[in-house]
Amino acid sequence: MNRTNNKISWVHLTSKLRQLFVAVLSVVFGISMYIFMNSFMNGVNNAQTDITFTSMAHIKVYNDLNGESPILLPPPLSSDTIQFVSNAREISYTEGIRNADEIKNILLSNKNIVAVTEQVNQNVFFRNGVAKLNGTLSGIDVTNEPRLFGTNDYMVEGDLTELDKRPDAIVLGSGLAVRLSAYTGDNITLTTSDGVTKIFRITGIIETGTGSIDKSRAMISIQSARQLLSKNKSYATEVLANVRDYNDARKIADEVKGDIKYKTEPWQEGNAQLESANTLRDIIAVAVSLTILIVAGFGIYNIMNMTVNEKMKEIAILKAMGFDGKDIIQIFLTQSIIIGLIGGFTGLITGFIISAIVDRIPFHIASFTTLPISYIPLDYVMALVFGLIITFIAGYLPAKKASEVDPVAILRG
Amino acid sequence: MQSLAAVNINKYFYDPQEFHVLKEVSFEVKRGEFISVVGKSGSGKSTLLYLLSTLDTAYTGSIAINGTTVTGLTQNQLATFRNEHIGFVFQFHYLLPEFTVLDNVMLPALKLNKRPKEEIREKALDLLTLLDVRGHEHKKASMISGGQQQRVAIARALINDPAIIMGDEPTGNLDSKNTKTVFNIFRQLARERNQTIIAVTHDDEFAANCDRIIEMVDGRIIAQHP
Repeated sequence: MNRTNNKISWVHLTSKLRQLFVAVLSVVFGISMYIFMNSFMNGVNNAQTDITFTSMAHIKVYNDLNGESPILLPPPLSSDTIQFVSNAREISYTEGIRNADEIKNILLSNKNIVAVTEQVNQNVFFRNGVAKLNGTLSGIDVTNEPRLFGTNDYMVEGDLTELDKRPDAIVLGSGLAVRLSAYTGDNITLTTSDGVTKIFRITGIIETGTGSIDKSRAMISIQSARQLLSKNKSYATEVLANVRDYNDARKIADEVKGDIKYKTEPWQEGNAQLESANTLRDIIAVAVSLTILIVAGFGIYNIMNMTVNEKMKEIAILKAMGFDGKDIIQIFLTQSIIIGLIGGFTGLITGFIISAIVDRIPFHIASFTTLPISYIPLDYVMALVFGLIITFIAGYLPAKKASEVDPVAILRG
Repeated sequence: MQSLAAVNINKYFYDPQEFHVLKEVSFEVKRGEFISVVGKSGSGKSTLLYLLSTLDTAYTGSIAINGTTVTGLTQNQLATFRNEHIGFVFQFHYLLPEFTVLDNVMLPALKLNKRPKEEIREKALDLLTLLDVRGHEHKKASMISGGQQQRVAIARALINDPAIIMGDEPTGNLDSKNTKTVFNIFRQLARERNQTIIAVTHDDEFAANCDRIIEMVDGRIIAQHP
């Protein structure tokens, strides 16, 4: 770098502080908005996913009854034999998973799987006086369930561990309790699809934030559920596992699939809408924030263009004195790069501060208390990189124009 | 010793219509000569000066300065050449208004980058003393009077000890007192430092006191005297 050129850049910059301030401000605005938009969108995505994962595991193992039709007879060996099977039907001998402990052990042996629980789910009728509702009864493993879903955090009334202490304890979803007009301490009657009826006592109310689930689900301990359905000790309808990073669920599901003879399904398979919503939000965030950055780039372009127009005579005399095109580009490009750097780093800090303020704005929905914000270092790196690229381009065009000034035309007047 | 030689220079303007500005111009200048180029507006004298100064390269013929043929060099080579060998004084001072007087004078030498900064500074101060603008060196260039600005511009032209100083109406904007001062400076430079001076001027009195007058009419040199 040429010190003389830098000196000229510096004098140009510092002699028009107002202009410098406006230029820097446009970069600060662009970069801080980029950071804020992305942090907020990521926050929303994570919040959305968090809510979803309060009732959905990353990987679900269950007995998929709609498999291929079993081969009833081996195909005939010789071609002169005709085999005819009419009205073939699939007969499910095993409903649910008979030996869930084995599946649990397989899942736990994968180091990426952090928690495993089993559930016995069954459609039942809830009855309270004349109110009679259809819903889902989940028999849960009271110890492991909260490890996957943080169930304890969503208990509005009562305590989840009560389920283990009393075999007739039940926890109702908040919506379900309202529909049944039942309160903690009341007794309600359950009827299974097999016609078994049993009375349970409500020991707690849960609200996960997902309305459809809160309106239809009740939980009892898994032992009670097995008993209710007359199933063996290791019976479960599904085994659920959480992995370290939910984005890897598909990969890890593929890893364990081979050892498990039941359907092993990562969450993405059943919830494409969730993934696409996240992707769309990301695209919107990037599009909007890049637009803001480009507008900031126009700001710099405009200011540098004005500077170049103002300094035509100076550029001409510099060229007459022996500064060549490269020197002129360097002089003006350095100015925009300095603007970009000052604005960039100030923008990073401003973006962080704006995000931190929004992070504290109260927002009471489901389990949230404030607006969701994610602090992702990559957003900050990208903001700076994009910001510098745009200031570079915005500064290069006027600098190029300055370098092409014909000194004769200017000096002759 | 020869300082500048122009051979068969032809130049055309194409805008708004084709116009033959310089026609077969040839002349030589010896080292230490103080030359005035005179003529009416449109006679091509300024155009000739910009060709000689290497700023304008659209011509046919050849120009050699200090033994170097500058015709055909690239723009960047010419920039370096101008920096080292040619000093400019224009009708307007064209100082950089945001810089101090001293910085303005030092700039071409800092660009040349052949001597340490301290030495350049000393030299710039000496030149400002010579041109009688000492004491203003830390003021902004825009804050001194017109006559002083023109003298600072001359100091800037001299900082790299150029072989040739080119002036485009160097006194065109000055009152008679400042014109006399500037003329005396040029006279002194040519005589004492053996620097060649070529100045385009409208000022007959200025021209009359030079070593040689080149008179132009319609793109041709019609007379050189004495």
